[in-house]
Amino acid sequence: MALMPKRVKHRKSQRGRIRGSASRGNRVVHGDYGLQAMQGGWLSAATLEAGRIAAQQYLRTEGRLYIRVFPHKPITSIPLETRMGKGKGEPEYWAAVIKPGTVLYEVSGISEEAARMCFTRLAHKMPVRVRFLRRRPV
Amino acid sequence: MALQLAVESRNLQGKRNSRRLRHSGQIPAILYGHGLECVPLSVASDVLSAAIRHGSRLVQLTGAINESAFIRELQWDTWGTHIVHVDFTRISEHEIVEIRVPVELRGEAPGVREGGVVVQLIHEVEIACPASAIPEKIDVNINHLALEQSVTLASLELPEGAKLTAGDPEDIVVHCIVPVEMPEEGAEAVPGEPEVIGAKAEEGEEEKED
Repeated sequence: MALMPKRVKHRKSQRGRIRGSASRGNRVVHGDYGLQAMQGGWLSAATLEAGRIAAQQYLRTEGRLYIRVFPHKPITSIPLETRMGKGKGEPEYWAAVIKPGTVLYEVSGISEEAARMCFTRLAHKMPVRVRFLRRRPV
Repeated sequence: MALQLAVESRNLQGKRNSRRLRHSGQIPAILYGHGLECVPLSVASDVLSAAIRHGSRLVQLTGAINESAFIRELQWDTWGTHIVHVDFTRISEHEIVEIRVPVELRGEAPGVREGGVVVQLIHEVEIACPASAIPEKIDVNINHLALEQSVTLASLELPEGAKLTAGDPEDIVVHCIVPVEMPEEGAEAVPGEPEVIGAKAEEGEEEKED
């Protein structure tokens, strides 16, 4: 099931701007290898789920996948063929706000080759350019 | 023996000068500690990167200053590819230092053959040890790790004179568990709307106003 918050303070949010690059959440923490976004953007809960399924189908029962981002932001839209005005649209889906440099997924318990294969499959689902990342030296 | 690192003194400070320094293949650094004054330095980026890659923590600074130092902190860029700044602290050989050391798994767990998966929960440990005996990493042998077994912080083999400074001894470093299969596409359900905090209270107020 696609991720979404359990409780929110407000049903709708303003769009906002993605400025600068990630200064946190930009290193591999839980796993051995990670997938880092090279561009900023919104990552919908459905996309995040599609990526998870793509990776999980490759991993099967080996290794462990970590999702490092969460879709906190409600994205609204107005129905088709509707006249302008009459207020803000209704929430359509949930998205994670991605800054360039954010680590999206991590994997552990598998070899580097397997991790690369896994993330290659996953990267095809992503709306932003991504790259493979290793754990940084202490 | 500590790795020798050639350093130059740095008179120009500030972000613009530091940026120029980085473009010229140097990394801004600073040396402090032992109650003496701070010394701004610069070090060749390729030499420092190689030292970090090989796990060196204790270095012998040569050139503008001749002292043994300990790499206290590294600052990386957003992408984690380039070192932006390095902090050195003055150190004497027998001084006890607190340091984070990576934990690496060695061997193959028999639990994997039984259908388990090895999950490493702690990748770095904080230890206190003499500066002359800083380990590059701490190896954990998982050749005896059967299914549903774990290795805790207390059972780590630390080098002589070293002791753990952070974490509960009962914290699990690595364990071999039965993997939990995640639900696939078929289990997808249409999500409802999340609960809005304070929504009912607002409605109540409106009713009062009416």
